[in-house]
Amino acid sequence: MVYLDHHATTPVDARVLESMLPFFSEKFGNAASRQHRFGWDANDAVERARKQVAQLIGAATKDVVFTSGATEANNLAIKGTVSARRDRDHVVTVITEHKAVLDPIARLEQDGWRVTVVPVRRDGLVEPADVANAVTERTALVSVMAANNEIGVLQPLRQIADAAHAKGAWLHTDAVQAAGKVPFDVDAMDVDLASFSAHKVYGPKGVGALYVRRKRVAIGAQIDGGGHERGMRSGTLNVPGIVGFGRAAEIARTDMPAEAERVRLLRNRLHDALQSTVSGITVNGDLDARLPGCLNVSFDGVDGEALLVALDDVAVSSGAACTQAEPSHVLMALGHTKERALASLRFGVGRSTTAAEIDYAAAKVADVVKRLREVLRRSA
Amino acid sequence: MKYSDEVLRRVQHLERVGVLEGANVGTGEVGTLDEGTVVRIQVRAEGDRVAAARFKVFGCSAAIASASLVAEWLDGAAIDEAGSLTSERVVQHLDLVPERAHVARMAVEAGLKALADSRGLTAESREQK
Repeated sequence: MVYLDHHATTPVDARVLESMLPFFSEKFGNAASRQHRFGWDANDAVERARKQVAQLIGAATKDVVFTSGATEANNLAIKGTVSARRDRDHVVTVITEHKAVLDPIARLEQDGWRVTVVPVRRDGLVEPADVANAVTERTALVSVMAANNEIGVLQPLRQIADAAHAKGAWLHTDAVQAAGKVPFDVDAMDVDLASFSAHKVYGPKGVGALYVRRKRVAIGAQIDGGGHERGMRSGTLNVPGIVGFGRAAEIARTDMPAEAERVRLLRNRLHDALQSTVSGITVNGDLDARLPGCLNVSFDGVDGEALLVALDDVAVSSGAACTQAEPSHVLMALGHTKERALASLRFGVGRSTTAAEIDYAAAKVADVVKRLREVLRRSA
Repeated sequence: MKYSDEVLRRVQHLERVGVLEGANVGTGEVGTLDEGTVVRIQVRAEGDRVAAARFKVFGCSAAIASASLVAEWLDGAAIDEAGSLTSERVVQHLDLVPERAHVARMAVEAGLKALADSRGLTAESREQK
């Protein structure tokens, strides 16, 4: 099997796993136990991890809040903001956001909040002026992702931050796909809230974080019960998961320049191979402002889901992993027809990917597309 | 979506894909591109039997597997008996999840339409004789 779906999830790095193992058994303490060494050791490990995650994103250590994952972090950022800003009644987001942002915002809309959904250009990028036009003095929050999970484009966050702050709105970004893959610095981007996930950067599933710029913003907790994480997220901390997240963040930070370049070359190798062997293909999203490992391609005259199945031993995805069968809302937002949106694959190159795997995958895709077009074409 | 081995096998090893031309070829087509699935099945009738069956599909793996199964069942079948084809049999054979049952119905409908079309053609060609 060739795994080219690193935007869905990544395997836990062996170094990460090794760092986690002691915290399941011998160092099993509750990080909130203040009275004995078991608790102190667990707490020290959590705080070390908090620092490692903070360093990856250029944040103050105290501003990192651990959660069960990025979906929870997004919910905490969005719902926590509106519960703290009752003097405002408006939220702005972008049409190509992940469902983990769109769905909580849809919930706000049901509760009476006004919502503006900003479109994207055909290359998938947000026009900062469109955000500026949408934001008013009534806007509590602007939420725009750093890197798109389906097409990998990197949004112009700094300009969007300026547009939000000009009217006193806070900026939240779902930075799950960007962190650890491309330089992401909360100060350079001037974001107020940012969501992260361990399992996208070779850490374990079930752990994430929300960055909260506490000097500027104060959010309302969504889970009460003990006041953990400075009152923003109660619940006993997932110590092994958090330790693994910290180690994964540290590895991502030190390895990023070399790894990003290697992954980018492999992605380009795949792109070139497909361009030269398969006719009727379209690359979705801007090719420059993009994650190094991401390639999203539409194949004319083929069904994306059938492609996935026929690919057999090459694991890629069609759109977001959670919403197959419906055309991707991201590709539809680029102005594609439903037919083309359904005929798209997302390739995600990652840390373990080799050139031989890229060559195998490219040849397999070319062969399968040819055979499927034979089935699908209406003429002989 | 997880598919049965039978669906995977049919999608990965395509058989009876194609177009039939000439006399006594009946065609049944169901669905539109707008709906995301189009199934076309063709049969060539010779006497009271289906001498050949071929399919074309635009759609998901379940649609491809369903059309391939219907074409396989029709190929060589007696025309009178082939009409007993049901989507329940397709769903069962391919172990399709309920959300995909509609593509089985489309494939069966396309197959039955192709048979009816070929029967009409056969009757016409008999009349012409």
